[in-house]
Amino acid sequence: MDPSCCWNKEQIAVEECPYIQGWDQQLLLNRKRRFLLRCIECPRFLEDLRAMNGQLDGLAGLFPYAIEELLALKMELQSLRSLNETRSREIKFLHEVSLVLQTSVDMDEVIAMALTAVTAGQGFGLNRAILLLVDKERQNLKGYFAVGPRRREEAGRIWQEIAERDLTLRELARHFFEEKMAAERERFRDLLELLSVPLSDNGHLFVRTLNELTSRHITDLLREPHLTREQAEALGVRELILVPLISKNRRIGLLLADNIINGRPISGEDLQSLETFALPVSFAIERASLYERLQEELERLTDANRRLQEQQEQILRMEKMALVGKIASNIAHSIRNPLTIIGGFARSLIKTTPEDDQKRRYIESIVRETRRLEAVLQEVLSYSESLHPTLDLWDVNQLVTGVYAGMQEDFKLARVTFQLDLEPNLPLVHIDYKQMAYCLRSILNNALEAMPGGGLLEIATRRVDDQLHLTLKDSGSGMSAETLRSITAPFFSTKDQGSGLGLSLCARILEGHGAELGVESREGAGTTFTIRLKITQGGTT
Amino acid sequence: MTRLLVVDDERDIRHLYAAELEDEGYQVDTAGSGNEAAELLERQAYDLIVLDIQMKGESGLHILQKIVKQKSDLPVILCTAFSCYKEDFSSWLADAYVVKSSDLTELKQEIKRLLEKKSKT
Repeated sequence: MDPSCCWNKEQIAVEECPYIQGWDQQLLLNRKRRFLLRCIECPRFLEDLRAMNGQLDGLAGLFPYAIEELLALKMELQSLRSLNETRSREIKFLHEVSLVLQTSVDMDEVIAMALTAVTAGQGFGLNRAILLLVDKERQNLKGYFAVGPRRREEAGRIWQEIAERDLTLRELARHFFEEKMAAERERFRDLLELLSVPLSDNGHLFVRTLNELTSRHITDLLREPHLTREQAEALGVRELILVPLISKNRRIGLLLADNIINGRPISGEDLQSLETFALPVSFAIERASLYERLQEELERLTDANRRLQEQQEQILRMEKMALVGKIASNIAHSIRNPLTIIGGFARSLIKTTPEDDQKRRYIESIVRETRRLEAVLQEVLSYSESLHPTLDLWDVNQLVTGVYAGMQEDFKLARVTFQLDLEPNLPLVHIDYKQMAYCLRSILNNALEAMPGGGLLEIATRRVDDQLHLTLKDSGSGMSAETLRSITAPFFSTKDQGSGLGLSLCARILEGHGAELGVESREGAGTTFTIRLKITQGGTT
Repeated sequence: MTRLLVVDDERDIRHLYAAELEDEGYQVDTAGSGNEAAELLERQAYDLIVLDIQMKGESGLHILQKIVKQKSDLPVILCTAFSCYKEDFSSWLADAYVVKSSDLTELKQEIKRLLEKKSKT
């Protein structure tokens, strides 16, 4: 019989075989290749074979067996090849993911990478991934983060975006981490909150999966007894896989994944791949969390160190000040005895020297200069003694009027008008009266010197919250910014005479009182000193 | 006549104080050390003592404690270049505390005040 098919022809025309397409037209000219690639699967060839059966001593009868086997082997080869391709893609992908996981110590970056890997088409290609993390402090398995479309309509948009951008997995994760993380967290907030479970709830599906350290593949979530109805409904899927995240037997968290959008059944391979993936993810999350804690600890230590350094500097400053005080006091004391003798005898001499005696002028000079030196000494000594104030409850208004009374003559001489603006019924404050009076006098003397041609001096007292403000304002020449800065440093003075201790001593006294000294000054526009005293409880008039 | 004892290890201070206080009408003895003062105190009755604190040898505060034990009614004025002794508790035993100055007005006032107080009791 003639074959109904073209297998016995060396060359054929296109229309002779319906199974040869335009792109493999070379098969038309090559009988061997045509036979192997097309004929053995061709129903017409099999027809011919059947028709020939019996004519060729039964050999043709065995031929279909060989063809059957060949086809089976071909299929197996095909499936192995595709499996191989999947595996090698998977390995490449895992390599890429693990690179990021191993190099990142940022918790959010690690999580973004991991969850993107689970959901991206280049990765495991699942629709949605949800991460629950163990919160040790609150003893919770806490919904931490989720990636994927929230609803079916979102899916198309997200995937389209991914396709348009044509990103590598790494780029995708980075883009996600940098631009989307915060918004995603917000988008899934309610679901994540709902999925959080206390770790003590041992019967719960999530906690059980985590405790038993084995993955689960649940095919009908609504029938799952160890999950609340509310949680199952919120998840909105029937099929779900759960993979525990474990690092060296420490429970890190739980990874949930599903195909909420396309509903594709989850395969055993999906689960297996995720299990493999869970290991590096667990390590990375733990490392990132340890790093986070380390960072916090480091910040705490840096802060403590900074404070310690500040304190040391403060101590050093205080030691220096104490030393300055000590030196000043020693010098003052060695000078005081001879000064007493010189001045004392000079004063004795004056008494016995007649007014018209020429020598009297000299002796008067000695007395005057001795008195000046003694005044300087007194100032230096007050400075070194200003460390320990004797505090008592005093009325600040009384202090001000007391000081004013003592300086009235000086104001008159300097042609300075004095204005008092005292708030009545102020609470009493803890001060060392003598020291504070000295302080006021120093500031007022300073003000007088700033107003050589006379002027206005205002003193006001006010209660401001839990402080008592004492403001001394002059209409004098003011100070330059530089002077203002150095004004409270010891031995600073723009005056030609005096020790320059006045204001620094004043600052020291106020420091001892726990009070603050504020100075505001503009050249030519006067200076305002503000003493801010703390009001302690029980101090009322 | 009111008799005062000035104790100070500086000769010129002793001269100055003696001269000034004699001018005020007091009879003044001086001592340059604790021992000298102790001897004088044994031989002579005084109405008031002006006592320096920091001296070579025995300190004024030490002498003060002995005086208070033996003659509790004898007023003592501590007179020193060191105002910081005000914070030393033993200086509280003294009836007054005067910081040395070429102007002896304060010292004289204190002497007067203490003697008046003593005469009243």
